Amino acid sequence: MAKATIRNEIRRLRFEHGEMTQQALAERVGCSRQTIIVLEQGRYVPSLLLALQLARVFGTTVEAVFTLEALR
Amino acid sequence: MKVILWAVIALGAAFGVLYLVVRRAQRTLPPMVLPPGEAMPSTALQRLAWQSLVPIFLLTLAAAAVVAHHGVSVAWENDAVRRSAMGFLIAALAVFTYYISRVRIWIIRDDGTLDERDRAILASAPAGQAPAMMVTLAAWMIGLIETYHASHLVPSVFLYLIFWSLLMVSVLADLAGVVIGYRRN
Repeated sequence: MAKATIRNEIRRLRFEHGEMTQQALAERVGCSRQTIIVLEQGRYVPSLLLALQLARVFGTTVEAVFTLEALR
Repeated sequence: MKVILWAVIALGAAFGVLYLVVRRAQRTLPPMVLPPGEAMPSTALQRLAWQSLVPIFLLTLAAAAVVAHHGVSVAWENDAVRRSAMGFLIAALAVFTYYISRVRIWIIRDDGTLDERDRAILASAPAGQAPAMMVTLAAWMIGLIETYHASHLVPSVFLYLIFWSLLMVSVLADLAGVVIGYRRN
């Protein structure tokens, strides 16, 4: 079965939003800075709730933050 | 003493399997890249798990050392030796009780100490308990059969040792599951 990978734009969006720190973003969405780090590096796939919260902080849609990259 | 050696081999094998599983899982994840000089910040649950795992491991090791040093039959017959070994184990369980209580308080209060990733790691942490206990039990059975097969008599002290070893392996595997969870996810 083909395996999908999820790419995210959190790092870019943070910098586009006044160079927001990982800690500041973590506080705004209610998670730890470690979670933001592993999210940015694609090592953790967030829940729909966290994905929606991240999109809201950046004033965009979930699809603009997370994209289905490729099927392996 | 031969039985203790089997238990040590079993624990070594269990940790070896655990290490291989973690290494295999890590290969499927993208590599972690952090800016130079920056370390990965730890979470409250991660710190608590380490702060519980280390003393529990050392206390269990101390109890095993007491039993191994005096011999199984002396550890069973001599009240002072038996109580000192049990003291270490009860202290280890007290540390685990403190860990469980703190985690439960964080979960019930829902004050943001635990995020969704912490909760996911907590939920998956017990996955290693059953295999670790099965390996330990298998090692006990093989060790006891190999040692006492000819006499057909297994000393009752081994019921006590099997109980404590399974309990401590279960506790250690749960905490190790949390610590490993942060490396895997």
